[in-house]
Amino acid sequence: MGSHNEHTGDGAIERQKLVRAGGLHWVHWLVVAFSFLITLGAWHVSNEQLTKRIEEKFQREADQAIEMVRERMMLYENALWGAVALHDASDSVTYPEWVTYANSLHIDTTYPGINGIGVILHLPSDDLTAFIAEQRRQRPDFNVHPEHSESEHWPITFIEPAETNRAAIGLDMAFERNRHKAIRRARDSGDAQVTGPISLVQDAKKTPGFLFYAPFYRGGAKPRTIDERRESIVGVTYAPFIMQKLMKGTLSRQNRQVHLAISDAGSVLYDDTQHGDSARQQPRFREKVSIGVYGRTWDFDITPNERFLTATSDNQPLVILAGGIAIDTLLFGLFVLLSRANRRALAYADAVTHELRIKTEYLELTNTELDQFAYVASHDLRSPLEGIKKLATWVSADNADQLPEKSVRHLEQMHRRITRSEHLLDDLLQYSRAGRKDYQSHPVDCGEMVRGITELASLPAGFTVDVDPAMPTLVTPKTPLEQVMRNLISNAIKHHDREDGTVTVSCRDRGAQVEFEVRDDGPGIDPRFHEQVFKMFETLRPRDELEGSGMGLAIVKKLVERYGGEITVESDRDRGTVFRFSWPTKWPEKS
Amino acid sequence: MEDTAITLLLVDDDDVDVEAVQRALKHARIANPVVRARDGVEALDILRGTGGQEQITSPYLILLDLQMPRMNGFQVLEQIREDERLRTSVVFVLTTSQAERDRLKAYEQHVAGYIAKSNAGADFSNLVEMLRMYWRIVEFPPVETAV
Repeated sequence: MGSHNEHTGDGAIERQKLVRAGGLHWVHWLVVAFSFLITLGAWHVSNEQLTKRIEEKFQREADQAIEMVRERMMLYENALWGAVALHDASDSVTYPEWVTYANSLHIDTTYPGINGIGVILHLPSDDLTAFIAEQRRQRPDFNVHPEHSESEHWPITFIEPAETNRAAIGLDMAFERNRHKAIRRARDSGDAQVTGPISLVQDAKKTPGFLFYAPFYRGGAKPRTIDERRESIVGVTYAPFIMQKLMKGTLSRQNRQVHLAISDAGSVLYDDTQHGDSARQQPRFREKVSIGVYGRTWDFDITPNERFLTATSDNQPLVILAGGIAIDTLLFGLFVLLSRANRRALAYADAVTHELRIKTEYLELTNTELDQFAYVASHDLRSPLEGIKKLATWVSADNADQLPEKSVRHLEQMHRRITRSEHLLDDLLQYSRAGRKDYQSHPVDCGEMVRGITELASLPAGFTVDVDPAMPTLVTPKTPLEQVMRNLISNAIKHHDREDGTVTVSCRDRGAQVEFEVRDDGPGIDPRFHEQVFKMFETLRPRDELEGSGMGLAIVKKLVERYGGEITVESDRDRGTVFRFSWPTKWPEKS
Repeated sequence: MEDTAITLLLVDDDDVDVEAVQRALKHARIANPVVRARDGVEALDILRGTGGQEQITSPYLILLDLQMPRMNGFQVLEQIREDERLRTSVVFVLTTSQAERDRLKAYEQHVAGYIAKSNAGADFSNLVEMLRMYWRIVEFPPVETAV
């Protein structure tokens, strides 16, 4: 019972460990938390990188848009300078010459952004009438308009294609401040210049536009000072722009990933933002740049458009975040599952342990009852047997001379059976007692013990018991081991079929156990009966031939098994029998 | 000694055992009177002269079996030791039981000896021999009537 409690104590500690393992340990939480932090970190870094990438891309797109506007403007400037070169090359360009020149430019295809290309001549007020008259020689309906109070005139003299620019022919640039100012700027600087935003007279829709001037002077070269330039100015080549048209082609909305809005001094030149465009309302990115454009300052306001957002929409950070969270959740789930499985196993173990304990208690109870039954039965059977024995004795003693010979023999047989019954009862009692008692463990010198048995047993003459000189000393209860040895040795002698014989007792080390061997040179046991010899009340010889209850080996087996060992019998049916049994080298002290 | 022959009170329900003792006494030529009681109740009646039984005369020696119907040996012992007039009785337990428990209990009631039947010798010869020696050399408690 003591050892049982001890086991329960150890078990309780083990169980406590399992209970702790059954919950979510702080390590689990740490792992999940750490993994979650890594996920957040990865998401953050990835997001940062993406934002940076998008920012760079937007910047590139914005720069590209501005650059393209500039390039386009340069292209047109070149066209204007080309026309200037024509004038420089010839003293006076006639209308047909101009038409030829303009046609050869293929404005429609080469310069899709401009409405036409023309020439504006500079006239002092006095020369106007003569100029008109001269122009009318070729174009009778030519007129300079509208009238104004300025002291000079800048009439559009030629413009091609004439069809679409009819409204502009003869238009005097001096009539309006914006146009006038820009043309004087061109004259004074000698550079190409643009006007501020205007509505072209030839544009029915009155959308924003501007004029582009390039000046040319008498003598072909650009004079060095402003005064000389003013003195020698002839006119300017010019191109009217409608902003919408300028932005077509490679700059068109479809080819850009940014919204573009261009304004000049607060008035809108171009804006492709569509009404209700949410991307425009709260842009994530915005680039506002002011660029000097041929004497004017254009303010660019660039924001990403839907195409940009689509092109840059990258869900990598979200994938990382979602994936990470999924893994974290799985990890957490795994921990929960594991701990639940642990708890379940523990509950199962508890249930099984409980069941086992009940069964053990029941078995112990049953065993005790059985032992008590055997004890009481053998005890109570003894008194009537004693009586019978006495009565039989008296019958033969009192009537010895009167009894017939047959009855005397019967009485003798009766006596023998009574004696056998007594032995049976003795052995039954011994069997029921075997292993019932808890003996103290002591160091036992097994060689000494076997020699003691041999001496006490008073061996029949002719029999010897050889004891292995290397018998061990075990820490074990002496009484049961001695009983096993005694029974085996006496068995060997009792069942011997000759007048002389040898019993050999030896021993082998088997680690935690030792294996004893009791070998005789008797008649041997038929292997068919090897199972039987350990059973209760089994003997292999007629009852009356040998006094044996058949309990000896049953007791031996019970004792050996009580101390965790095993017993086997070996016999080849020729001669000799070997009994081997194992015994613990150290039996735990009773606690 | 011869004048005051010691009476032997055999308390045993087993007729065979009683006869065995009587045979042994006869065999040993011991003529002391023998009174027999079949159980504890009868034994106490004989000791006290109650229940229509003739009271036993002192000095006497009791051979008491333990397992008996109606009243067992221990109960008899208890009654004897509680009874002012009986408490000095010399009692031997003669029983089949060899249990430690029983031995202890018997000696706690101051029995003169505890004899297992199996050790009483063939046909109780050892027992009878012991008794012969016992009442030859052991002084019994004083007889009440003599006081």
